[in-house]
Amino acid sequence: MTNTTTPRGDAPSAPAPVGTGSTGTRVLGAVALVLVALTALYGLVISPPDRQLGETIRIIYMHVPTVSVAYIAFIITAVSSAMYLWKRTEFWDLLGASSAELGVLFFALTILEGALWGKTTWGTFWEWEPRLTTSAVLLLVYIGYLAVRAIPADARTRATRSAIIGLVAVVNIPIVHKAVDWWRGLHQGRTVMSTIDPEMGGSQLVAMYLALLAGLIVFVWLLIHRFRVAFLAERAADSGLEHAIEQRRVEGATS
Amino acid sequence: MTEAWWYIVAAWGATLGGVGIYATLLLRKGRRLSRVVPPEDRRWM
Repeated sequence: MTNTTTPRGDAPSAPAPVGTGSTGTRVLGAVALVLVALTALYGLVISPPDRQLGETIRIIYMHVPTVSVAYIAFIITAVSSAMYLWKRTEFWDLLGASSAELGVLFFALTILEGALWGKTTWGTFWEWEPRLTTSAVLLLVYIGYLAVRAIPADARTRATRSAIIGLVAVVNIPIVHKAVDWWRGLHQGRTVMSTIDPEMGGSQLVAMYLALLAGLIVFVWLLIHRFRVAFLAERAADSGLEHAIEQRRVEGATS
Repeated sequence: MTEAWWYIVAAWGATLGGVGIYATLLLRKGRRLSRVVPPEDRRWM
């Protein structure tokens, strides 16, 4: 379905497709679907159980990519926040906000997967131990970032406030990452990257790399769409405001 | 199916389902918004 008129009732222009998709995102989406299917095949069927973790390594095939993507998303938010404070352009503001929302999604899923893995391994969904506690704080901080963006304000004020939070919040990532080294806890000490290298082999390694690649491609696809939705929301708000001003002007001229 | 598999299915289901639902809502919101935004503002088309 296409819409050839503007909301202000201007003359019809060339038909434009409706939505946030483009040729590039359709190709990227197809690649992502293939990679997710391959990840499921290797992660759930082909790869054998781990010697130490047993079948529960299959949860790690989801857990490591989601946490990696969440970290990448939050780092993109921090870089975009710095760029916004420097350049003051809408692009950096919307990119930072879009990435933060995706980071919250992926980090919430990381905590959920971790809880399920914890139940099978530790016998409990949650413990207030350093890695889990710092992770909960990280998630809450970025939910706070999104809440601040939802406070009614002009675009510039909202962007400045959230850019400052986006810059400060990223400090939590090294704290979460190093929590297992700095304090004693239940969570294993190995880091994201070293989980891949030393003991995995063959199809386990393939499953992990496929999952990481799939997670990354899905994230890029989502980020492009989320950015375009944010851009459209800004234009729709501008358009509504212009329309209201125009109506007031007409009312003023006729009274 | 061992007990561990229930947790594995739950973890994969929550992840793929969560991302799938989010993606669907995102695409729907994009379609809805693009109907009220002039075509010249949809520069990626």
